[in-house]
This record gives sequence, C-alpha cells and structure tokens, in this order.
Amino acid sequence: MNKIESPEESRKLLDKIFKDLTRSIVKKDELTRFWFFILLMFIGVGLWGWIIQVDRGLGVTGMRDYVSWGIYIANFVFFVAVSLIGFLLSSAMHLLKIDWVKPVSRVAEQIAIAAVGLAGIIIVMDMGRPDRLLNVFLHGRFASPIVWDLTVVTTYLTISVLLFYIPLIPDLALLRDRLGSQVPKWQLKVYSILSLGWKGNPKQFKTVYHAMRVLMILIIPVGLSIHTVTSWLFASTLRAGWDSTIFGPYFVAGAFVAGTAAVIIVMYVYRVRHGLKDYFEDKHFNQMGKLLVFVSLLYLYFNVNEFLVPGYKMKLAEGIHLSNLFAGDYAPMFWFAQIFGLFIPIILLLFKFFRKPLPITIISAFVLVSAWFKRYIIVIPTEEHPFLPIQNVPENFHHYAPTSIEIMIMLFSFFAAIFIISVLSKLFPVITIWEYAEEKGIDKKYLSETPKN
Amino acid sequence: MYKRINLFIAVLFVLPAFQVIGQDWVVPAENSAIENPQEYTLKNVKLGKDLYMVNCKSCHGDPGKNNPLPLVPVPPDVVSDQMQSNSVGDLYYKMSIGKGAMPQFETTISEDNRWRIVNFIMNYNSNRKQLLEDKPPVKAQLLASINEDDGTVNVFAEYEDKGGDYSKLVDVPVIFSLKKTFGNLELGECITNENGRSDFIIPGSLIGNEEGFVTIVVSLGEDYEAKDVILENAKICMSKEVPKLIRQGVIWSTNDNLPMWLLLSYIGMVGGAWLAIGYVVFQIIKIRKYSKE
Repeated sequence: MNKIESPEESRKLLDKIFKDLTRSIVKKDELTRFWFFILLMFIGVGLWGWIIQVDRGLGVTGMRDYVSWGIYIANFVFFVAVSLIGFLLSSAMHLLKIDWVKPVSRVAEQIAIAAVGLAGIIIVMDMGRPDRLLNVFLHGRFASPIVWDLTVVTTYLTISVLLFYIPLIPDLALLRDRLGSQVPKWQLKVYSILSLGWKGNPKQFKTVYHAMRVLMILIIPVGLSIHTVTSWLFASTLRAGWDSTIFGPYFVAGAFVAGTAAVIIVMYVYRVRHGLKDYFEDKHFNQMGKLLVFVSLLYLYFNVNEFLVPGYKMKLAEGIHLSNLFAGDYAPMFWFAQIFGLFIPIILLLFKFFRKPLPITIISAFVLVSAWFKRYIIVIPTEEHPFLPIQNVPENFHHYAPTSIEIMIMLFSFFAAIFIISVLSKLFPVITIWEYAEEKGIDKKYLSETPKN
Repeated sequence: MYKRINLFIAVLFVLPAFQVIGQDWVVPAENSAIENPQEYTLKNVKLGKDLYMVNCKSCHGDPGKNNPLPLVPVPPDVVSDQMQSNSVGDLYYKMSIGKGAMPQFETTISEDNRWRIVNFIMNYNSNRKQLLEDKPPVKAQLLASINEDDGTVNVFAEYEDKGGDYSKLVDVPVIFSLKKTFGNLELGECITNENGRSDFIIPGSLIGNEEGFVTIVVSLGEDYEAKDVILENAKICMSKEVPKLIRQGVIWSTNDNLPMWLLLSYIGMVGGAWLAIGYVVFQIIKIRKYSKE
C-alpha cells in the first residue's frame, strides 16, 4: 500500500472514486426504469401464481404423494447454495488476508442477502398452509433437521445483513455528506439515519473493524452449518440417492461453485453497466476464475465420490436411482449439469484467455444454470423411486413435472432475488468506498471532509 | 332379468339330474332308523338354522315361504310334506350322500352339524313342539350399569307387552361383549331372573387399552328389539402394555425422547450465535454513541 502524501492528490482521487462508485446511485435513465419495470412485472406475475396456489391448494402444482418436494425445494437448495458465497468471499478470504477479494466482498454480500432471503420465502411458498408457519416455531421438534434449517437460515440472514451493513456505515456517511441534491430527499434521510451520525473518529473505525471481525468469524460456522443442515434434510433419510455420508461437504463445495459463478456474473454486469472497469479489473476476474476452477475441482472430487462409489456397487435401490441418472429419464439433465457445469468450465478456465471478463461470465452463466439443474436432480429423481412399489395410483403420481404455476413462482423467486440485488446496488455503492480509498493510499481523515463543490 | 339368469344357471346344473327324475330316493333301512344323537333343544335348532341359512337356503328357500330355486326336480320346502315325511335318519342320510342336483355334505359339514340341521328341519314337524318360532321381535328395554370395584355388570330388562306397558323380562339371555376395533368380541351371556335382573362378572384377566379402559356392549338376543347398552371407558381390567415404538436415544425421536446432548448442543450453538449477533448490535449502538463525542 503506497501512501499518498499530498492532500490535493488525495482529495482528487477520493472524489474520482466516489464519483465512479456512486454513479449507479445517481444515474437516472430509461434503462434503469425499464429494468425495474421488468423485474416488478415478473414479481407480480409470480405473486399472482402464488395467490392462485394459496387459493386452490397445492393441487395446482405437479407435486403428488410420491414426489412431494418439487422445484420449490430444488430452488430452495439452489438459493441456499448461492448465498454461501457471502461466507467464502467476504469472510473466509478476508480473514486469510487475500487482498484482491476486498472489492468483490460487497457483491458477494448482496448476493448472499438476496439468495438467503429468497430461500426463506420459497419455503413458505412451498407450504400448502402458509398461515401455519408459526406452528414450526411453536411445535417444532428440536430433533428435526427442518427446525435446525429454519434456525440457521434465519441466523445466516441476520449475520449477512449485519455484515453488509457494518462496513457500509462509513460509506453511508460519505453518501450523506456528498450526494446533496443528486438524490431525492428521502434517500438522503435514509442515509442519514443509517449512518448513525458517523463522524469518522478513530474510535468508530476501531469499533467497525472489531464488529466486522466478530461477524467474519461468526459467519464461518453459521455459513458452513446452513448448507450442511440443508444437506441433512436429505441425508438424514434412508432414500436411495440421499442416504449419503458426504452430503454436507458435497453441498458446501457445490455451493461455492454456484456462488462464485453468480458473483462473476453480477460483477460483470456492474462493470459494464456502471462503467467500473477500473474497479472490477481484469485481475479480479482472473482471480475469480482461478477460484472457480479450485472450487469446481473440489466439487468434482465430491461428485466422483458421490456417484462412483455407489455406482461401483449398484445396490438394488441405489442402482435403480443411478441408472435413472446415468442413462434413464434424467440422463440429459445429469450429463448437462456435469459436462457444462463442471468438466468444460474446469478445462476452459485453466487458460488465461477464458478468465477474461466476457468469456468467464458466459462460462459462469452455464455453471449457474447447471447448478440449478443439479439441485433438481438431487431433489426429484430420488422421490420417484420409493422403497415400496408404487401401486394403484393415478398415472400422474408416477412422474413429476412442474406445472405453470410452479414455474411462475420459480420465476418470481429469481426475479425477486435479482430485484433485491438491484435495489441494493441502486441505494448503496457496490464497492466499499472507504476501504477502497484506503487501499489506494488515501488517509482516513479526508473521508470525513465535506467537499467544497 | 335376475330370475332368468338364475334359471339359466339352474338348468345348467340340473341337466344331469334329468336321469333321476321319477325315481324314488330310497334310503337303506338301517340308515333310516338311526335316531338323532343331538338333543332337540332350542339351542341346537338355532344352530341348525344358522347352518341351514348358509348351506341349504340357496336352493330350498326360506321355510314355509315356498321360494325354492326352480330346479328339476324342485328342491322341497322344509315345511312341505315331501320333506317332513322323511324320518330323521332319512334326512341325515340324504344330506350326507346327496343325489343328482342335491350335493353331498358329508365332507363339508361335520356330523354334529348335519344332525343340527336335521333338528332345524324337525322344528317344523307337526309331531313335535315347535321350539323356534318366526315372530316379529318384541320391543324391549335394557338398562345396565357397571360396578368397577368388583367388575360386575348389573342388568335390568323389560319388554313392551300387548297393552303397551313395560314389564320385566324373565328368563331371557342377555349377551355381553367387548367392543373392539373391528366388531364385538362376545364375553358370555347370563339369564335374567324373576325380577328381570341379572349380574355378569367380567373376567379379571381381560386386557383393555393402554389405560386399562374397555367398552362393554350389553345386548338382548335377536328375538327382542332393544337398543344395546354401551358402557364406555369402564376401568375393570388390566391395561395393555404397549411396547415403545421408538427406543430412547434415537436422534430422530419424538420431543419426549429427545437426547439431552442434542437439545443442549442446539440451544448452545443457536444461543451462542445470537449472543454474538447481540454483541455486534451493541457495537453498532456504540458507534452511534461515539458520533456524539
């Protein structure tokens, strides 16, 4: 870190950083409005689907007696997976003092909040009687992984919000002091309230560092638990395909893959849309690419364990399940997820060219879509093969296919997640300004100065 | 339509029987002379009736109603002279051996039961006292109470006489049964005394539900039209021992069997996390406080 001594230079640089990073907040154009309109429209359509479902009951979904966990649960697992990146990037790698990750950590935290929030909402949408949600708290069994999951999702959401908020406090003060008439009055008011009257004195900075450190340490066990417990929802049963001892780390590794891909996509969108070429630099994409290869290799290792070991033995029920995945109805989805979500990305990302922003974003999109299909494959095929034979039931009990209502609600969850990320990026800078300025050698004392212009 | 099908089936069955038309069914003299080893009592007649209803009625029809299946030759009605002119030995022989359309029952109905059917047929013989009469059920009332201390059920029965008044029902069997999930289990019966009363001692070895409760059903026989008395949740017997379906210490157990270590770990971890969160919130408050300095 090279310190800039000259005050003029410091102020000039800080102004430039501030201007670049608040461009997304200040900018008002048609495209932004159109974007929010599209998001709200899809959210509205999804909510309409949910109202139909609440009104008519879960019969409007494709879920029946045998497959009672459909794409809602697959979606839930997907969102929990994506949210885990917040823990990896903004905590684990921070604590390991990996410096390049700093500008990325707020993006990761935005994704974590949006994803874990939607994970909670999608569970409520999966309930036939959402009005009975309170019963889970009143009559929940402490021995049930569902109660553990509920607890850990709530805890993780709280920690993620705090971890997003605390580094934001000095930035909020900057926004409060500098934005002036560029944003509506209510927005300034929000900044003013949330910034807690920040003065920028050393004691305050010390407290921020301290609180951040506590949260970063706290989020490691909680983050690991959230996806491990989610995996236990499956692994604590005897069902073929779920009854696995490595489900915890297998899910966590898969979560890192999905989350890293999501962060790369959002980074690219910010870089292009808000002109943050100098902030989300090529080197960040390069490093994220390396990270994606690393976590993908880890995930590949767990995949080999998860499928090769039972596939070697082909025990009766497990054998039916696996042949269904490898060569049966689910083979296209399974091999798509494995080839486009793991093999090809790993090979391509080993080359420097593919770690450039655009190629890696395209690869990440494939990885993210594959990650969703992978969750579908984890949840649904197992349920179509219960241990007791399926007899004397209507034809549509045998196989599961999502109905249009389910797809509407699924779209709602995606667009609502993107909406949360969009709102967060519209209200708050996508990179921590004060941390970035400090990185560039600007002394903290310039932060609390109000600019003359 | 139904009758036509019946007729068709009957004709099919009876075709070989045409050969025996017009031949008399002669029973060997030694068989004809055998006397009924089963006593001619109401009980035996009743049992015979039940057997008749199951095995014979489909062809011979209801006694006295002349509704046999139209076979050739026509199966005679039980009250007909053709039937009643047989000696008890003849009847026994004929139902045992069978002939033409009349099946043999030697291998399907036990000897005793065949003799009981004979007793039922003899119920309509003009030379005997008719024990079992077909009369409409008499309206009756049944009162019962249970004494949980000594496990007895006290019963009082009365019937509606011609005048429409109720008077006590003497010398009539009252049936006691245990209500089970699928139907009733008969425990026994007792006869009412001259006061229309009777006591029944519930066997002490009876096993009730998990709490030792049973439901006793008291009823009169089918000759009387009376509401059954249902004595619910009587605590007069031993309780059923229910093996626990879930053994202690299984993690996925019910909340009652929840292992203590699991509860403590859960509370410890969740409590720890939320304490730390609370601590961070406290830091936020501190930041606010420092702004005033």
